[in-house]
Amino acid sequence: MLPIDAAAHSSRWRRRHPGEKAVLGFGLTALAVCLSPWPGAPLVAAATLAVLLGPAGVAPRQLWRAWRIPLGFCVTGAVPLLFQVGAEGGLVTLAPGGPAAAGQLLLRTSAASLGVLLFAFTTPVSDVLPRLVRAGVPAPVVDVALVMYRISFLLLDSVRRIREAQAARLGLTTRAATWRSLAGLGATAFVRAFDRAARLQSGLAGRGYDGTLRVLVPRTAVSRRFLGATGALLAGLVALTLVLERLLP
Amino acid sequence: MSIHEVLERVSPNMHIAEGYLPPVHAAAWSVAAAPFVVHGVRALSREVKANPESTLLLGASGAFTFVLSALKLPSVTGSCSHPTGTGLGAILFRPPIMAVLGTITLLFQALLLAHGGLTTLGANVFSMAIVGPWAGFGVYWLLRRFDVPLMVSVFAGAFVADLSTYCVTSVQLALAFPDPGSGVVGALAKFGGIFALTQIPLAVSEGLLTVLVMRLLMQSSKGDLARLGVLSAKKEAVAR
Repeated sequence: MLPIDAAAHSSRWRRRHPGEKAVLGFGLTALAVCLSPWPGAPLVAAATLAVLLGPAGVAPRQLWRAWRIPLGFCVTGAVPLLFQVGAEGGLVTLAPGGPAAAGQLLLRTSAASLGVLLFAFTTPVSDVLPRLVRAGVPAPVVDVALVMYRISFLLLDSVRRIREAQAARLGLTTRAATWRSLAGLGATAFVRAFDRAARLQSGLAGRGYDGTLRVLVPRTAVSRRFLGATGALLAGLVALTLVLERLLP
Repeated sequence: MSIHEVLERVSPNMHIAEGYLPPVHAAAWSVAAAPFVVHGVRALSREVKANPESTLLLGASGAFTFVLSALKLPSVTGSCSHPTGTGLGAILFRPPIMAVLGTITLLFQALLLAHGGLTTLGANVFSMAIVGPWAGFGVYWLLRRFDVPLMVSVFAGAFVADLSTYCVTSVQLALAFPDPGSGVVGALAKFGGIFALTQIPLAVSEGLLTVLVMRLLMQSSKGDLARLGVLSAKKEAVAR
């Protein structure tokens, strides 16, 4: 199982309705994107971090390991904003206002990423997928996504074991051997995926499979209190940003 | 560590990160991607209706695409990154199906791996699940029409799929952040220059890997490849 999904399965908020967590997480992300990066993004990031590390109980180390991935892209993507091309001073020169633009982009992206991580760290994908049919996503697509989700973990586990076996047989010692091993890994993943699907098909056929994958979804009620608190938090962040925008330079 | 290695390590898959695009751009790319995804959903729904058991095969195909994008690919310059898997996916499963499988894969990557994002899902789907597969499959199909050997066509398809994905990503970023001096064209040169440094070697690497995987599949899974339409039964019989 992947670390974020494993954390979501053992989250304090695991039993909360995914809709509640979606409103909170995606609401914070939407604010991070729509409010002005200064001072909106730091406020949203601070509020999201407080929720993540406080009530949601996400381990700081796990959060950092997940958060640094989007941060890496943001840093790479922000570098070009520091420079301009074809200006009078030379082919490549420092852009006027470049550091400010890059800083604002970093603030916005890091705050927005935290909102999605709040949802991901508290809601297993297996809780979300079956509910998507009610949200209007065609059932065949949801069924395919469910199969993908379940087979992916088995395949990732197989790939990890095969890679360990290849390494133990000196399959990663030279560049040529690494390429051979990698190609073998890709081909084996393909064969195993189709083999797994064929066996799943045989097993389901014996249980009267009619093309629809029915799964039990734990019944959870939407908490009005939680939604009320979420609404208050989001409204408070908007109000505070608008006030601080006038007060701060 | 060279700048190339630094870039590859900090940007493993080049999905546009959460919140990176302004809201209007994020919405516009979602609208642009929607018709292709809807077309793919219809194709997938028709397929599942006609053959209920194909749900499992399509799920397995999607899982394969997801796992393929998690493999570490040695770049020709010495460091590592991940393949997009869109070229091989499009050759095996066709672009309309890849639009759906790619969208689900990108959703999983956003939620399970923190790669990409939900506000940028439309932009990432457009580059990685639509343009990449269609461009790669187009080149592959064209070369096969002119009887170019299978492995050369597979290499070209995977190379073009990978490179076109990142060209579109560069365009998306350039449109969102035009250069103060030279506008979108200058921004395209900046983003394209940075990504080209990593992506041309990676596109070559992905092409080579795809050829190697296809060669192994020809040995071990001829039946599956024939069922997917990659190998024509008639041509195989002639070859034998």
